Amino acid sequence: MEKAKIGAYQFFVLLLLFELGSAVLVPIAIGANRDAWIAILISTIGGVFLFLVYYRLYKFYPQLTPSEYMEKLLGKFFGKILAFAYILFFVYISARVLRDFGEMLLSFAYVDTPLFIVNTLFILVIIYAIQKGIEVIARTGELFFNLLYLLAVIGFILIVSSGLIDLNQLKPFLEQGWTTVFKVVVTETLYVPFGEAFVFSVILPYIKDTKKIKYAGIAGIVLSGINLSLVMAINISVLGIDLATRSQFPLLTTVQSIQIAEFLERLDVFFMVSMVIGIFFKASIYFYAAVSGTTILFKFKEPSKLVYPIGLVILFMSITIANSYSEHLTEGLDLTTRYLHPFFLVLAPVFLLAIAYMKNRKRKKK
Amino acid sequence: MKRKSFILVLYFGCFLTLTGCWSQKELTDLAIISAMGIDLTENGEYASTLQIINPSNVAGGLQGGGAGQGPPVSIYTATGSSIIEMNQRASKKLPRRRYYAHTNLLVIGEELARKEGITGILDAIERHQEFRMTAVIIIAHGVKASDLLKVLTPVDKIPAKKIIKNLRFTEEQWGEVFTLNLQDVKKDMTAVGKSPVISGFSIEGDPVQGSKMENVQTSDPETTLSATGLAIFKEGKLVDWIDGKTARGTVLILDKIKNTGISFDWKDKKDVGTFQVIRMNSKNIATMKKGKPKITVEVKAEGYLSEIRTAVNLTDPKILIEMEDTIEKTIKEEILLAVEEGKKVKSDIFGFGQVFHQNHPKEWQKLKADWHDVHFPELTVDVNVEVYIRRTGLRNNPSVLKE
Repeated sequence: MEKAKIGAYQFFVLLLLFELGSAVLVPIAIGANRDAWIAILISTIGGVFLFLVYYRLYKFYPQLTPSEYMEKLLGKFFGKILAFAYILFFVYISARVLRDFGEMLLSFAYVDTPLFIVNTLFILVIIYAIQKGIEVIARTGELFFNLLYLLAVIGFILIVSSGLIDLNQLKPFLEQGWTTVFKVVVTETLYVPFGEAFVFSVILPYIKDTKKIKYAGIAGIVLSGINLSLVMAINISVLGIDLATRSQFPLLTTVQSIQIAEFLERLDVFFMVSMVIGIFFKASIYFYAAVSGTTILFKFKEPSKLVYPIGLVILFMSITIANSYSEHLTEGLDLTTRYLHPFFLVLAPVFLLAIAYMKNRKRKKK
Repeated sequence: MKRKSFILVLYFGCFLTLTGCWSQKELTDLAIISAMGIDLTENGEYASTLQIINPSNVAGGLQGGGAGQGPPVSIYTATGSSIIEMNQRASKKLPRRRYYAHTNLLVIGEELARKEGITGILDAIERHQEFRMTAVIIIAHGVKASDLLKVLTPVDKIPAKKIIKNLRFTEEQWGEVFTLNLQDVKKDMTAVGKSPVISGFSIEGDPVQGSKMENVQTSDPETTLSATGLAIFKEGKLVDWIDGKTARGTVLILDKIKNTGISFDWKDKKDVGTFQVIRMNSKNIATMKKGKPKITVEVKAEGYLSEIRTAVNLTDPKILIEMEDTIEKTIKEEILLAVEEGKKVKSDIFGFGQVFHQNHPKEWQKLKADWHDVHFPELTVDVNVEVYIRRTGLRNNPSVLKE
């Protein structure tokens, strides 16, 4: 574990950028059709509860990272196995996020460029950031947070003032009933992006003002939930449900439809910038969690030496993970969000929390 | 030392990778396509027409001085069995790389729109990362798209630009036609309770003469392009054309009109007054009455009297209120004319079905299946128009007051 300290505000910013990450770019919760935004709002509430679970775990062991307290709770053998599984999970998701980035860039801008080149260039930046440590990532986050919100606010004003929003497109509400909405919540949006906040368990021990963690975390999740819901509602009201469903990147299509005064148009760069910022933080934090986990599990003295090999693994994994974008997406829905996420983000933490409660009760009795 | 040389190597590495010349496109190598036309050939293949800008002939006289030597645009055509294939085949004739990012106009030939429809064609364009969904779509009325794109136009040198501006200003000042981009068309086509209406353009005069430079070298061009009516689509295929008052009524229901002049009768005298609309909006309200769908079109129009050619005392507010009633009736007639036409071809171009879907989702499930063929033609449509004459221009009474 490196010696670093980050503030509660920095944590809030990182969490927000992480949650928005790739979720703002792809059609999330689109299984709920026009009610995608309702599904996202409901998942936000679920996300807050999940975060409280992670927070309680942290409260039991405020000085330790997950791989350390897993050993304490499950015993040496099982704790190490679970910690190792988590490392694999973090590496895999980091690779998935990197693949998302490459695919997005290749789909609409760099059609002729090989995926390998794009991903290599991006992983180099991430490797550099990870080597500098969490403090640098947090400070970068503060910087880009302002830029991202500036772009978002300008984009929002442009979309509204170009008269594209037709709120009637969101009607009828709940056409397929609440069941569809809850199905989407339970199978998708609860985990991506809200449950993914579990990764921050690795970062929580670094935070200086421990009292503010709870509120910073809840604020981050609620704000990101509102933002995501707003973006999805705008996408659907601008594009209509058919186009929003069929677009690979609805936000891009929405931004492309802006036309004001004959010269404010073709603002694809808004999408590009938010994509690079969001994906950078999402991939970096997963990557960082993997590096930190490995350092502790295998008792490495210099974590910075681990960055290159793991970076290389992520890079190659991101390319070999799927043959096509469709395969990548299908794998994401059928494997990752169906099995991996519920286990690593909900079941395992809840289980750990239950054990922590029991152990502590015993200790109190003694 | 070792560290320094490493950094140097890194720098050079960056030079190589970050200059961004992976798939560079030099400006002088681009054929900027301003408009694309698609037709159906006799043997069932597609024929595309690419209108390409000749940059040196468009530049203003002050800059190059060479402007006006040749035509501002050149036309390239190709045929093929798919949109992408034929456009790529066109590169056999083109000296440059085709560049679609500035294609602002898509022209569909009438025959293609009638026989095959537009659903399939749009897919290739949607998928393409260069092509913009904000491009305007029009239907070549009675002519081939290729002929339409060949006509050279004065004032606005690039024909595609002329067509787009033409549509926009007609929409703003008169009605009858309106600009519709590909995204809107796609939206209308996928909504169950709405069919698209697309503006049409036609050639007045001889198409061959229109493609020659002489056409723009006279003050009265022999061949001109003009907006003519709206094409009604049903299930992606063109079924009918509407024009004149019917077309304006349609645009009115769709709430696209900003300004327009409405002529009205006054005391047995036909069309003696004109009501100039400044603000106008319409709203469709769906209600269910005993299981029967009913639509109320509510129109509010505000404006002034811009012309009156009969003896009338305009200083009397009561007369103005009476006049408002007359204008309301005129607008109502226009709207009903449009509704009747839509019912006749059994295509809900007004999006009434969509309003039902949005506000009565449960009942809509029953209506959905045969909305266009059964329920829409039987639909009760009520029209409520409210007209406000705010002022009468710079004069009060017309000079023909005394009879």
